[in-house]
Amino acid sequence: VEPKRKKRNICQELCGSVMEFGEESSPALAFEKEAFELTVEDVYDISYVIGRDLLKISNTGEEVSDLQFRIVRVLEMFETLVNKYNLSLEELKMERDNLKSELDRIIKESSSGQQTAGPNQLVIDLTDPNRPRFTMQELKEVLQERNQLKAQLMVAQEELQLYKSGILPQAEPAMVEVDLKTPAAKEHKPETINDTKEEKTTIGKLFSFRRK
Amino acid sequence: MAKKTYDLLFKLLLIGDSGVGKTCVLFRFSDDAFNTTFISTIGIDFKIKTVELQGKKIKLQIWDTAGQERFHTITTSYYRGAMGIMLVYDITNAKSFENISKWLRNIDEHANEDVERMLLGNKCDMEDKRVVPKAKGEQIAREHGIRFFETSAKANINIEKAFLTLAEDILRKTPVKEPNSENVDISSGSGVTGWKSKCCS
Repeated sequence: VEPKRKKRNICQELCGSVMEFGEESSPALAFEKEAFELTVEDVYDISYVIGRDLLKISNTGEEVSDLQFRIVRVLEMFETLVNKYNLSLEELKMERDNLKSELDRIIKESSSGQQTAGPNQLVIDLTDPNRPRFTMQELKEVLQERNQLKAQLMVAQEELQLYKSGILPQAEPAMVEVDLKTPAAKEHKPETINDTKEEKTTIGKLFSFRRK
Repeated sequence: MAKKTYDLLFKLLLIGDSGVGKTCVLFRFSDDAFNTTFISTIGIDFKIKTVELQGKKIKLQIWDTAGQERFHTITTSYYRGAMGIMLVYDITNAKSFENISKWLRNIDEHANEDVERMLLGNKCDMEDKRVVPKAKGEQIAREHGIRFFETSAKANINIEKAFLTLAEDILRKTPVKEPNSENVDISSGSGVTGWKSKCCS
Protein backbone atom coordinates (compact mmCIF):
# COMPACT_ATOMS: atom_id res chain seq x y z
CA VAL A 1 0.00 0.00 0.00
CA GLU A 2 1.54 3.28 -1.04
CA PRO A 3 0.38 6.06 1.26
CA LYS A 4 1.41 8.95 -1.02
CA ARG A 5 -0.96 7.98 -3.78
CA LYS A 6 -4.43 9.46 -3.90
CA LYS A 7 -7.31 7.18 -2.97
CA ARG A 8 -8.00 5.01 -5.97
CA ASN A 9 -11.28 3.53 -7.19
CA ILE A 10 -12.35 0.90 -9.69
CA CYS A 11 -14.03 3.22 -12.21
CA GLN A 12 -11.08 5.56 -12.58
CA GLU A 13 -8.61 2.71 -12.92
CA LEU A 14 -10.71 0.91 -15.51
CA CYS A 15 -11.33 3.99 -17.56
CA GLY A 16 -7.60 4.76 -17.53
CA SER A 17 -8.06 8.38 -16.62
CA VAL A 18 -5.67 8.82 -13.69
CA MET A 19 -2.87 6.34 -13.44
CA GLU A 20 0.53 6.55 -14.84
CA PHE A 21 2.93 3.90 -13.54
CA GLY A 22 6.65 4.23 -13.40
CA GLU A 23 8.78 1.78 -15.32
CA GLU A 24 9.65 -0.24 -12.23
CA SER A 25 6.12 -0.88 -10.88
CA SER A 26 4.14 -3.02 -13.24
CA PRO A 27 0.42 -3.30 -12.38
CA ALA A 28 0.23 -6.54 -14.37
CA LEU A 29 2.19 -8.28 -11.57
CA ALA A 30 -1.02 -8.28 -9.51
CA PHE A 31 -2.29 -11.09 -11.75
CA GLU A 32 0.53 -13.33 -10.63
CA LYS A 33 -0.22 -13.09 -6.91
CA GLU A 34 -1.91 -15.75 -4.78
CA ALA A 35 -5.58 -14.97 -4.25
CA PHE A 36 -5.21 -14.66 -0.45
CA GLU A 37 -2.24 -12.34 -0.77
CA LEU A 38 -4.13 -9.76 -2.79
CA THR A 39 -4.58 -6.29 -1.36
CA VAL A 40 -7.12 -3.78 -2.45
CA GLU A 41 -4.32 -1.92 -4.31
CA ASP A 42 -3.78 -5.05 -6.37
CA VAL A 43 -7.45 -4.99 -7.26
CA TYR A 44 -7.01 -1.43 -8.56
CA ASP A 45 -3.96 -2.53 -10.55
CA ILE A 46 -6.02 -5.34 -12.06
CA SER A 47 -8.73 -2.83 -12.88
CA TYR A 48 -6.18 -0.62 -14.55
CA VAL A 49 -4.80 -3.46 -16.70
CA ILE A 50 -8.27 -4.62 -17.72
CA GLY A 51 -9.21 -1.02 -18.55
CA ARG A 52 -6.11 -0.71 -20.72
CA ASP A 53 -7.02 -3.93 -22.59
CA LEU A 54 -10.61 -2.74 -23.04
CA LEU A 55 -9.26 0.47 -24.49
CA LYS A 56 -7.25 -1.54 -27.03
CA ILE A 57 -10.40 -3.42 -28.03
CA SER A 58 -12.50 -0.27 -28.35
CA ASN A 59 -9.76 1.30 -30.45
CA THR A 60 -10.30 -1.48 -32.97
CA GLY A 61 -13.92 -0.25 -33.28
CA GLU A 62 -15.70 -2.84 -31.13
CA GLU A 63 -18.59 -1.77 -28.82
CA VAL A 64 -17.41 -2.60 -25.23
CA SER A 65 -19.41 -0.29 -22.92
CA ASP A 66 -21.83 -3.03 -21.68
CA LEU A 67 -18.93 -5.33 -21.00
CA GLN A 68 -17.13 -2.45 -19.31
CA PHE A 69 -19.99 -1.91 -16.84
CA ARG A 70 -20.15 -5.60 -15.96
CA ILE A 71 -16.47 -5.78 -15.41
CA VAL A 72 -16.68 -2.72 -13.14
CA ARG A 73 -19.41 -4.48 -11.16
CA VAL A 74 -17.40 -7.69 -10.82
CA LEU A 75 -14.28 -5.83 -9.84
CA GLU A 76 -16.18 -3.80 -7.23
CA MET A 77 -17.40 -7.03 -5.68
CA PHE A 78 -13.86 -8.28 -5.78
CA GLU A 79 -12.69 -5.09 -4.09
CA THR A 80 -15.22 -5.54 -1.29
CA LEU A 81 -14.27 -9.17 -0.75
CA VAL A 82 -10.53 -8.48 -0.62
CA ASN A 83 -11.08 -5.58 1.72
CA LYS A 84 -13.29 -7.59 3.99
CA TYR A 85 -10.92 -10.53 3.98
CA ASN A 86 -7.93 -8.41 4.94
CA LEU A 87 -9.84 -6.63 7.68
CA SER A 88 -11.08 -9.91 9.19
CA LEU A 89 -7.60 -11.32 9.04
CA GLU A 90 -6.26 -8.29 10.85
CA GLU A 91 -8.94 -8.55 13.53
CA LEU A 92 -8.30 -12.24 14.11
CA LYS A 93 -4.57 -11.63 14.41
CA MET A 94 -5.14 -8.98 17.04
CA GLU A 95 -7.56 -11.22 18.90
CA ARG A 96 -5.06 -14.06 18.80
CA ASP A 97 -2.27 -11.86 20.14
CA ASN A 98 -4.46 -10.61 22.98
CA LEU A 99 -5.40 -14.14 24.01
CA LYS A 100 -1.79 -15.20 23.82
CA SER A 101 -0.59 -12.49 26.15
CA GLU A 102 -3.50 -13.17 28.51
CA LEU A 103 -2.56 -16.86 28.60
CA ASP A 104 1.07 -15.98 29.26
CA ARG A 105 0.01 -13.75 32.15
CA ILE A 106 -2.12 -16.49 33.74
CA ILE A 107 0.58 -19.13 33.38
CA LYS A 108 3.11 -16.78 34.91
CA GLU A 109 0.81 -15.97 37.84
CA SER A 110 -0.03 -19.57 38.66
CA SER A 111 3.60 -20.69 38.46
CA SER A 112 4.65 -17.92 40.83
CA GLY A 113 2.14 -19.24 43.37
CA GLN A 114 -0.25 -16.31 43.28
CA GLN A 115 -3.30 -18.37 42.48
CA THR A 116 -6.54 -16.53 42.38
CA ALA A 117 -9.60 -17.89 44.14
CA GLY A 118 -13.13 -16.63 44.49
CA PRO A 119 -13.97 -14.20 47.31
CA ASN A 120 -15.11 -17.01 49.63
CA GLN A 121 -12.77 -19.70 48.44
CA LEU A 122 -9.50 -21.06 49.73
CA VAL A 123 -6.70 -22.45 47.60
CA ILE A 124 -5.35 -25.67 49.08
CA ASP A 125 -1.92 -26.96 48.28
CA LEU A 126 -2.41 -30.72 47.99
CA THR A 127 1.27 -31.36 48.62
CA ASP A 128 1.22 -29.59 52.00
CA PRO A 129 1.20 -32.29 54.70
CA ASN A 130 -0.42 -29.76 57.05
CA ARG A 131 -3.29 -28.87 54.73
CA PRO A 132 -6.85 -28.84 56.09
CA ARG A 133 -8.43 -32.22 55.45
CA PHE A 134 -11.24 -32.79 57.93
CA THR A 135 -14.68 -31.30 58.22
CA MET A 136 -16.08 -29.37 61.15
CA GLN A 137 -18.46 -32.26 61.82
CA GLU A 138 -15.56 -34.70 62.05
CA LEU A 139 -13.71 -32.43 64.46
CA LYS A 140 -16.87 -32.06 66.52
CA GLU A 141 -17.23 -35.82 66.82
CA VAL A 142 -13.59 -36.33 67.78
CA LEU A 143 -13.79 -33.61 70.42
CA GLN A 144 -17.00 -35.07 71.82
CA GLU A 145 -15.42 -38.48 72.10
CA ARG A 146 -12.27 -37.02 73.68
CA ASN A 147 -14.31 -35.14 76.28
CA GLN A 148 -16.47 -38.20 76.94
CA LEU A 149 -13.41 -40.35 77.58
CA LYS A 150 -11.92 -37.64 79.74
CA ALA A 151 -15.06 -37.55 81.86
CA GLN A 152 -15.08 -41.33 82.17
CA LEU A 153 -11.44 -41.32 83.17
CA MET A 154 -12.19 -38.79 85.88
CA VAL A 155 -15.02 -40.89 87.22
CA ALA A 156 -12.75 -43.94 87.21
CA GLN A 157 -9.97 -42.02 88.93
CA GLU A 158 -12.39 -40.85 91.59
CA GLU A 159 -13.64 -44.36 92.20
CA LEU A 160 -10.10 -45.63 92.36
CA GLN A 161 -9.32 -43.00 94.93
CA LEU A 162 -12.29 -44.15 97.00
CA TYR A 163 -11.16 -47.76 96.84
CA LYS A 164 -7.62 -46.79 97.71
CA SER A 165 -8.66 -44.73 100.69
CA GLY A 166 -10.86 -47.56 101.88
CA ILE A 167 -14.11 -45.62 101.79
CA LEU A 168 -15.73 -48.24 99.60
CA PRO A 169 -16.23 -51.58 101.39
CA GLN A 170 -15.53 -53.75 98.33
CA ALA A 171 -11.82 -53.14 98.57
CA GLU A 172 -10.15 -56.54 98.75
CA PRO A 173 -6.60 -57.76 99.25
CA ALA A 174 -6.27 -58.36 95.50
CA MET A 175 -6.77 -54.67 94.96
CA VAL A 176 -3.99 -53.95 97.37
CA GLU A 177 -1.78 -56.39 95.56
CA VAL A 178 -2.32 -54.65 92.24
CA ASP A 179 -1.53 -51.30 93.72
CA LEU A 180 1.62 -52.59 95.30
CA LYS A 181 3.11 -53.32 91.94
CA THR A 182 2.73 -49.73 90.84
CA PRO A 183 5.53 -47.34 91.67
CA ALA A 184 3.34 -44.91 93.59
CA ALA A 185 1.92 -47.47 95.98
CA LYS A 186 4.00 -47.08 99.05
CA GLU A 187 1.31 -46.53 101.65
CA HIS A 188 0.51 -50.24 101.96
CA LYS A 189 1.84 -52.59 104.50
CA PRO A 190 4.76 -54.78 103.41
CA GLU A 191 3.24 -58.13 104.48
CA THR A 192 0.61 -58.00 101.71
CA ILE A 193 3.26 -58.10 99.01
CA ASN A 194 3.48 -61.86 99.16
CA ASP A 195 -0.21 -62.26 98.57
CA THR A 196 0.12 -62.62 94.80
CA LYS A 197 -2.52 -65.26 94.07
CA GLU A 198 -5.66 -63.16 94.22
CA GLU A 199 -5.92 -60.85 91.31
CA LYS A 200 -9.18 -61.81 89.68
CA THR A 201 -11.42 -59.12 91.10
CA THR A 202 -13.08 -56.62 88.79
CA ILE A 203 -10.84 -53.84 89.81
CA GLY A 204 -7.85 -56.10 89.47
CA LYS A 205 -8.82 -56.83 85.90
CA LEU A 206 -9.67 -53.23 85.13
CA PHE A 207 -6.33 -51.99 86.24
CA SER A 208 -4.18 -54.96 85.42
CA PHE A 209 -2.52 -52.91 82.70
CA ARG A 210 -0.80 -50.95 85.44
CA ARG A 211 1.12 -53.97 86.67
CA LYS A 212 4.64 -54.86 85.58
CA MET B 1 -23.18 -46.96 91.25
CA ALA B 2 -20.23 -45.34 92.90
CA LYS B 3 -20.97 -43.21 95.92
CA LYS B 4 -21.45 -39.67 94.79
CA THR B 5 -18.65 -37.35 95.73
CA TYR B 6 -20.60 -34.12 95.29
CA ASP B 7 -23.98 -32.59 96.02
CA LEU B 8 -24.41 -30.35 92.99
CA LEU B 9 -23.02 -30.15 89.50
CA PHE B 10 -22.61 -26.71 87.94
CA LYS B 11 -21.63 -26.24 84.36
CA LEU B 12 -19.64 -23.14 83.54
CA LEU B 13 -18.39 -21.83 80.22
CA LEU B 14 -15.49 -19.55 79.35
CA ILE B 15 -15.79 -17.38 76.24
CA GLY B 16 -13.90 -14.46 74.74
CA ASP B 17 -11.46 -13.59 71.96
CA SER B 18 -8.56 -15.84 71.11
CA GLY B 19 -5.52 -15.21 73.30
CA VAL B 20 -7.19 -13.38 76.19
CA GLY B 21 -6.22 -16.18 78.58
CA LYS B 22 -9.33 -18.29 79.04
CA THR B 23 -7.38 -21.54 79.21
CA CYS B 24 -4.82 -19.99 81.59
CA VAL B 25 -7.58 -18.67 83.88
CA LEU B 26 -9.06 -22.15 84.02
CA PHE B 27 -5.69 -23.84 84.45
CA ARG B 28 -4.89 -21.51 87.37
CA PHE B 29 -8.20 -22.36 89.02
CA SER B 30 -8.14 -26.12 88.42
CA ASP B 31 -4.44 -26.89 88.81
CA ASP B 32 -3.11 -23.73 90.45
CA ALA B 33 -0.48 -23.45 87.74
CA PHE B 34 0.45 -21.15 84.91
CA ASN B 35 2.04 -21.83 81.54
CA THR B 36 3.48 -19.01 79.42
CA THR B 37 3.48 -20.86 76.12
CA PHE B 38 0.41 -20.05 74.07
CA ILE B 39 -1.37 -23.11 72.73
CA SER B 40 -4.58 -22.27 70.95
CA THR B 41 -7.50 -24.37 72.23
CA ILE B 42 -8.91 -26.69 69.60
CA GLY B 43 -12.67 -26.42 69.63
CA ILE B 44 -13.70 -27.20 73.17
CA ASP B 45 -12.16 -28.70 76.30
CA PHE B 46 -13.17 -28.95 79.94
CA LYS B 47 -11.85 -29.30 83.44
CA ILE B 48 -13.43 -30.40 86.65
CA LYS B 49 -12.99 -28.84 90.05
CA THR B 50 -14.95 -29.58 93.17
CA VAL B 51 -15.46 -26.75 95.62
CA GLU B 52 -17.34 -26.46 98.89
CA LEU B 53 -19.88 -23.70 99.35
CA GLN B 54 -22.36 -23.35 102.22
CA GLY B 55 -21.59 -26.87 103.33
CA LYS B 56 -22.31 -28.29 99.90
CA LYS B 57 -19.84 -30.06 97.69
CA ILE B 58 -20.21 -28.52 94.29
CA LYS B 59 -18.64 -30.08 91.27
CA LEU B 60 -17.78 -27.46 88.68
CA GLN B 61 -17.51 -28.70 85.16
CA ILE B 62 -15.88 -25.82 83.35
CA TRP B 63 -15.93 -25.73 79.58
CA ASP B 64 -13.08 -23.92 77.91
CA THR B 65 -13.88 -22.73 74.38
CA ALA B 66 -11.65 -21.81 71.47
CA GLY B 67 -11.86 -18.07 70.83
CA GLN B 68 -11.03 -18.40 67.15
CA GLU B 69 -13.87 -17.66 64.78
CA ARG B 70 -13.38 -20.90 62.87
CA PHE B 71 -14.54 -22.96 65.86
CA HIS B 72 -17.72 -20.99 66.45
CA THR B 73 -20.14 -23.60 65.19
CA ILE B 74 -18.63 -26.05 67.68
CA THR B 75 -18.37 -23.71 70.65
CA THR B 76 -21.81 -22.12 70.37
CA SER B 77 -23.44 -25.54 70.67
CA TYR B 78 -22.11 -25.69 74.24
CA TYR B 79 -23.75 -22.44 75.39
CA ARG B 80 -27.13 -24.06 75.95
CA GLY B 81 -25.98 -26.38 78.73
CA ALA B 82 -24.11 -23.70 80.68
CA MET B 83 -25.44 -22.36 83.98
CA GLY B 84 -22.74 -19.72 84.25
CA ILE B 85 -20.69 -18.01 81.57
CA MET B 86 -17.47 -16.07 82.06
CA LEU B 87 -16.76 -13.47 79.39
CA VAL B 88 -13.04 -12.84 79.30
CA TYR B 89 -11.16 -9.97 77.68
CA ASP B 90 -7.53 -8.89 77.83
CA ILE B 91 -6.87 -5.47 79.41
CA THR B 92 -3.88 -5.05 77.05
CA ASN B 93 -5.98 -5.73 73.95
CA ALA B 94 -8.60 -3.11 73.05
CA LYS B 95 -10.16 -5.27 70.35
CA SER B 96 -10.88 -8.06 72.81
CA PHE B 97 -12.75 -5.56 74.96
CA GLU B 98 -14.71 -4.13 72.03
CA ASN B 99 -15.75 -7.67 71.13
CA ILE B 100 -17.34 -8.21 74.55
CA SER B 101 -20.59 -6.83 73.16
CA LYS B 102 -20.37 -9.40 70.38
CA TRP B 103 -19.85 -12.20 72.94
CA LEU B 104 -22.81 -10.86 74.96
CA ARG B 105 -24.95 -11.06 71.84
CA ASN B 106 -23.76 -14.64 71.33
CA ILE B 107 -24.99 -15.45 74.83
CA ASP B 108 -28.37 -13.88 74.11
CA GLU B 109 -28.61 -15.95 70.98
CA HIS B 110 -27.37 -19.33 72.16
CA ALA B 111 -27.49 -19.62 75.95
CA ASN B 112 -30.30 -20.14 78.44
CA GLU B 113 -32.13 -16.99 79.34
CA ASP B 114 -31.37 -17.28 83.06
CA VAL B 115 -27.68 -18.06 82.63
CA GLU B 116 -25.44 -16.32 85.18
CA ARG B 117 -22.89 -14.07 83.46
CA MET B 118 -19.63 -12.55 84.66
CA LEU B 119 -17.09 -10.25 83.01
CA LEU B 120 -13.35 -10.77 83.53
CA GLY B 121 -10.59 -8.37 82.45
CA ASN B 122 -7.60 -10.67 82.45
CA LYS B 123 -3.82 -9.99 82.45
CA CYS B 124 -4.18 -7.25 85.08
CA ASP B 125 -0.59 -7.93 86.15
CA MET B 126 0.55 -6.19 82.95
CA GLU B 127 -0.22 -2.66 84.12
CA ASP B 128 2.39 -1.10 81.80
CA LYS B 129 0.64 -2.51 78.74
CA ARG B 130 -2.90 -1.74 79.83
CA VAL B 131 -5.14 -0.13 77.20
CA VAL B 132 -8.55 -0.82 78.73
CA PRO B 133 -9.14 1.23 81.90
CA LYS B 134 -10.73 -0.65 84.76
CA ALA B 135 -13.58 1.88 84.75
CA LYS B 136 -14.56 0.86 81.22
CA GLY B 137 -14.89 -2.76 82.27
CA GLU B 138 -16.93 -1.74 85.30
CA GLN B 139 -19.15 0.42 83.13
CA ILE B 140 -20.04 -2.25 80.59
CA ALA B 141 -20.63 -4.73 83.41
CA ARG B 142 -22.96 -2.28 85.12
CA GLU B 143 -24.85 -1.66 81.88
CA HIS B 144 -25.54 -5.37 81.56
CA GLY B 145 -26.12 -5.95 85.24
CA ILE B 146 -23.30 -8.47 85.64
CA ARG B 147 -20.35 -8.89 87.99
CA PHE B 148 -16.88 -7.79 87.01
CA PHE B 149 -13.39 -8.72 88.14
CA GLU B 150 -9.97 -7.86 86.88
CA THR B 151 -7.92 -11.02 87.04
CA SER B 152 -4.46 -12.34 86.41
CA ALA B 153 -3.93 -16.03 85.81
CA LYS B 154 -0.19 -15.41 85.88
CA ALA B 155 -0.09 -13.55 89.19
CA ASN B 156 -3.05 -15.48 90.58
CA ILE B 157 -5.23 -12.45 91.18
CA ASN B 158 -8.98 -12.85 91.70
CA ILE B 159 -9.12 -16.19 89.85
CA GLU B 160 -10.53 -18.31 92.66
CA LYS B 161 -12.67 -15.41 93.83
CA ALA B 162 -14.26 -15.09 90.38
CA PHE B 163 -15.11 -18.78 90.07
CA LEU B 164 -16.41 -19.05 93.63
CA THR B 165 -18.52 -15.92 93.24
CA LEU B 166 -20.04 -17.24 90.03
CA ALA B 167 -20.72 -20.59 91.69
CA GLU B 168 -22.33 -18.81 94.66
CA ASP B 169 -24.55 -16.78 92.38
CA ILE B 170 -25.73 -19.96 90.70
CA LEU B 171 -26.17 -21.70 94.05
CA ARG B 172 -28.36 -18.83 95.22
CA LYS B 173 -30.75 -19.48 92.34
CA THR B 174 -30.69 -23.23 92.84
CA PRO B 175 -33.69 -24.84 94.55
CA VAL B 176 -32.70 -26.46 97.81
CA LYS B 177 -34.00 -29.91 96.86
CA GLU B 178 -31.35 -32.58 96.53
CA PRO B 179 -30.10 -33.10 92.99
CA ASN B 180 -30.68 -36.19 90.89
CA SER B 181 -27.96 -38.76 90.88
CA GLU B 182 -26.13 -37.74 87.82
CA ASN B 183 -22.66 -38.07 86.57
CA VAL B 184 -20.74 -35.52 84.61
CA ASP B 185 -22.68 -34.91 81.46
CA ILE B 186 -20.39 -34.33 78.54
CA SER B 187 -22.89 -34.19 75.73
CA SER B 188 -22.96 -30.91 73.89
CA GLY B 189 -25.79 -28.45 73.88
CA SER B 190 -28.85 -30.04 75.33
CA GLY B 191 -27.26 -31.60 78.38
CA VAL B 192 -29.91 -31.36 81.07
CA THR B 193 -28.71 -31.02 84.62
CA GLY B 194 -30.60 -31.58 87.80
CA TRP B 195 -30.68 -27.86 88.35
CA LYS B 196 -32.03 -27.04 84.97
CA SER B 197 -34.66 -29.75 84.74
CA LYS B 198 -36.13 -28.52 87.99
CA CYS B 199 -36.09 -24.96 86.80
CA CYS B 200 -37.82 -25.65 83.56
CA SER B 201 -40.47 -28.11 84.65
